[in-house]
Amino acid sequence: MIVTTQKPLDEVLDFISPYSNILIAGCDGCTQPPRGIREAKTLSQLLDLGGKLRDKNFTFKATTLAKQCDSYLTASMLKPQTEGVETILSLACGIGVQTLAEAFPEIPVFPAQNTHFMGAEDREAGSLEERCAGCGDCLLALTGGICPVARCTKGLLNGACGGSKEGKCELSPERDCGWVLIYEQLKRQGKQQFLKEFRPPRDYQLHGWKVTT
Amino acid sequence: MSESVTQEVVAVEQNKDFCSSCSICSTLCPYEALKKDAETGKISLEIEKCQVCGLCYSACPARAIDTIYYDVASLMRYLEKAKLEYDSDTLVIMCRGSAPDFAGIEQLFGVTKFVPLSVPCVGRIPEEVFLKAIIAGINKIYVLACDEDYCRFEKGSPVTGRRVLALNLLLEQLGYGKETVTLNRHSLKVKVETDLCISCGNCVFYCPYDAAKLESPGVVSFDLSYCRGCGLCVAMCPALALDLENWERERISALISKLSSEIQTPKVLVFRCQWAVFPPLDEESTRNIRAIDLPCASRIDVSNILEAFQNGVDGVLIAACSEEDCKQEKASGKAQHSIARLEERLSQIGLQDRLHFCTVTPRYPKEFDKELEQFIQKIEAIGESK
Repeated sequence: MIVTTQKPLDEVLDFISPYSNILIAGCDGCTQPPRGIREAKTLSQLLDLGGKLRDKNFTFKATTLAKQCDSYLTASMLKPQTEGVETILSLACGIGVQTLAEAFPEIPVFPAQNTHFMGAEDREAGSLEERCAGCGDCLLALTGGICPVARCTKGLLNGACGGSKEGKCELSPERDCGWVLIYEQLKRQGKQQFLKEFRPPRDYQLHGWKVTT
Repeated sequence: MSESVTQEVVAVEQNKDFCSSCSICSTLCPYEALKKDAETGKISLEIEKCQVCGLCYSACPARAIDTIYYDVASLMRYLEKAKLEYDSDTLVIMCRGSAPDFAGIEQLFGVTKFVPLSVPCVGRIPEEVFLKAIIAGINKIYVLACDEDYCRFEKGSPVTGRRVLALNLLLEQLGYGKETVTLNRHSLKVKVETDLCISCGNCVFYCPYDAAKLESPGVVSFDLSYCRGCGLCVAMCPALALDLENWERERISALISKLSSEIQTPKVLVFRCQWAVFPPLDEESTRNIRAIDLPCASRIDVSNILEAFQNGVDGVLIAACSEEDCKQEKASGKAQHSIARLEERLSQIGLQDRLHFCTVTPRYPKEFDKELEQFIQKIEAIGESK
């Protein structure tokens, strides 16, 4: 899932203050924590209250889309709701914001979120951590299902670096050392021999910028 | 007021002069707050463990237990007044935990006109009240208890069942006919609109009772026999796909707009867990305060709080049980988390001081009064909202 955090309300208020009729579009796709209809409604309420304190009256419409990153869906689902709308506030990740901007070029679209990374959620701990760097050359088969590109702070392919202390990274001690995790996992599975395999430097071109379906 | 002062008044007291150490109370107490000393045989009350269900009060044959809430005298005072107000000789005694609105009562019992008496747990009503009500001209009594496994006080509903049985036998012998008292059990549970479900799994994660299931592929389903109606899932659902019977979003919204329009500034709205604050039967409306009772603090929806502010309310106070006292598997603690997140966001627009979350218990009636008083002072100091 794509992990986002809410932008501070005063920043969002600055974006929308020149306008009055605002459409808030949630996203029920992979944006995490969920930014669906509840968040759209809550944000409209907060901005309404924040606006009043700035002597500004907004009119909000709150809606949500199955996934904002799908330009076809987004254009067709949102079109009927854009009449009279001066600006759209997107609750999706940066991709959703751009899809909206492209689908409705006449209407200014603003982000209500900051987008961070592709991550996994630990509900018990109430946290989300990066898990995939989208490198285009998946190594997980050799590393016990733990990605060294995303989870080793240094992104080493042939770890560990030697700086790990008690399973934590020397650069950010609150963070698990990705290579210690990989080692332990392979040991559990009796596949330590994978560690002996040399992995050549990554081909950064594989990351790519376009995929044809 | 310091803590010791607010704890000076306690909701339940034992009058040792009257106690005959019969142990009925200690057998009934679901929380081991009343215990018989193995050596001396004396009964003692440990108030810290008491959840104020009132079972001991209703069952003590020696009247050795006193309670501040809903004692015989105040119940009879209420009845006398309510009988005239509702102009009926039918009484419906219901537990606040599972009582639907008037239309729901009509449906459950087939009565259109009745005197309503709503208390936290019908198990706290002594036989004496039933008999006195009949003497005072009540012809028929309906009792609405919670389903036994839904009872917030564990033994309240079963005790009520036995009490109604015994009362009917007695009344029949006295010539009042069969079934003067009719018992019905009920509970209020979650409702799902599966069309809106986005399969996020929040309800599965948050439900304290494992009532929510998510199978792949598919949307959420609930095993309602497990649902205990706390409303936590409703407040946590990002898709607004869930609602709680009798505490539907729309109903709460309507109540917020009604209450906020009828009070004067500084307007204070209190969302209170119905197990954290026991209001008196003749609760008087004050000029600037209104309260909305909820099944558990976890039902408090962030959007309801914001709605109150949008309706011109100057301050919102939330009164919850502490996690230890929560009747819903610590759901109140989880509610506190989303309130804290809301406070952060309110601070970004300068409204954080207008929202206050507190934990109180009916065990110490002054605790809530003190919180409310302090909050009102604070809101008066900040002034009206824009």
